[in-house]
Amino acid sequence: MLILRLWNYFRGYVIIKIEGLNLERFINMCIEKNIYLWDIQRKSYTTIEARVGIGGFKELRKVSRRCGCRISIATKNGYPFWAHKVKKRKMLLTGAFFSLLLIVVASSFIYSIDIVGNKRINEKAIIEALHEMGLKPGVNRYSISLRELESQLLTEFSDLAWVGIQLRGIYAKVEVVEKKLPPEIVDKETPCNVIAKKNGVIEQVIARNGDAVVKSGDIVTEGDILITGIVERDNLQSPIYVHAFGEIYARTYYDTIKSEFLTEIKKQKTGKKYSKKMISLGEIELTFRGGKIPFDNYITENRTKKLTIWRNTTLPVEIKIEDYYETIDIEKKLNVEEVKARMHQEAINELMAEIPLEGEIANTLIDFQQTGDLLQGKFTIEVIEDIAMQEKLDIEED
Amino acid sequence: MKKTEEIKKSIADILELPQDIVLDLPKITLIGNLQLYVENHKGIIEYSDNRIRIFTKCGILRVIGKNLLLKNIVLEEIVIVGEIREVEFDD
Repeated sequence: MLILRLWNYFRGYVIIKIEGLNLERFINMCIEKNIYLWDIQRKSYTTIEARVGIGGFKELRKVSRRCGCRISIATKNGYPFWAHKVKKRKMLLTGAFFSLLLIVVASSFIYSIDIVGNKRINEKAIIEALHEMGLKPGVNRYSISLRELESQLLTEFSDLAWVGIQLRGIYAKVEVVEKKLPPEIVDKETPCNVIAKKNGVIEQVIARNGDAVVKSGDIVTEGDILITGIVERDNLQSPIYVHAFGEIYARTYYDTIKSEFLTEIKKQKTGKKYSKKMISLGEIELTFRGGKIPFDNYITENRTKKLTIWRNTTLPVEIKIEDYYETIDIEKKLNVEEVKARMHQEAINELMAEIPLEGEIANTLIDFQQTGDLLQGKFTIEVIEDIAMQEKLDIEED
Repeated sequence: MKKTEEIKKSIADILELPQDIVLDLPKITLIGNLQLYVENHKGIIEYSDNRIRIFTKCGILRVIGKNLLLKNIVLEEIVIVGEIREVEFDD
């Protein structure tokens, strides 16, 4: 039926009013003459309304004369009539054409460039390099070759492993993947020092090469030299440089402070509700119902409704509904022991994430302090771990 | 005339031919109470908002209802849309 309607639209049809006494005869004659009438509707005893194609309408004249009815056109409908109307309005047509042209031309330029995936390489450096190669805001998208730009960018930045440029309309998305640098390993022949990577108290020193400069019980801070690679002996003229290595076990401390109030304020809904409705169109939000919230104390719940056209395709228009529920505060005394247990668990979880796997937990210190309503807890975990880290020696040649 | 009709009917019975074609009878299809198709009609006799009479080979078909509309009308077929209440044959 839709096909038929479209066909009728493109052929053009008129809605006619037929006035007369013997209208059934008129319909029968139309059938005989093969004039297609549709949507015939009785308006009153002497009038009916019907639709007829342009071709059929011309033939209707003869029929109406023969059965003495009067035909008048109520509405002209369809593409031919529309086209005729538009033809008279030349400026509208040219305006539509030019605005279409403007959109097509304007959308062939790149307006913004976004770089995704860079961590070490400065975004500005990449953008500048792209500018020099020709990809900059305002450039025509058909005048640049993306594949060429990608390879150019790869040669420009040796740190990049892969570059992908995508054009999405007026927006260029440059995706880069940086090369992963291998961890710096100090060559076995290279002279080096062993330094501390954390603060701590030395427990045990195992110097496998080089001279230990700390002994157990010493307090060291991050960066302190633990085993030196410069070996000096009395019988030696000049110091010799060695590749120092070894294990230094130290007691390190991980601590955290947690605090919590002992009375909890709970919000309870009173049952009163107030809704605000708004339409959001991309970034723009239009509130069309509701203004000031009539409650002092409330909690908000948001709901959004999206208009779905077809499966996953959604319009960028959303209907947002904000529900405000009036609440009253209810104070509740918490059990001190329960709070302590909870804080303890939280602190342990937090600290365990920091402690390296090979560390050995030596001691745990917990200290709670209550001042008024506030409960404060200090949690310290003592760990024995290897804090040795190698660092290349800068040897001054003199 | 009557005799030929009878012969036709018996032939149609024997050969199991569809009777609407052999005997030139109307084929009426009713969809719920919304739509009525009448194929092979012989013309329209009366048409108003609540009553339509159609001439057919086996008498006058009367359709009674509300807001009746002739959706479509061609030589072979009439489509009536509306709230159909009664369909009956008069002689």
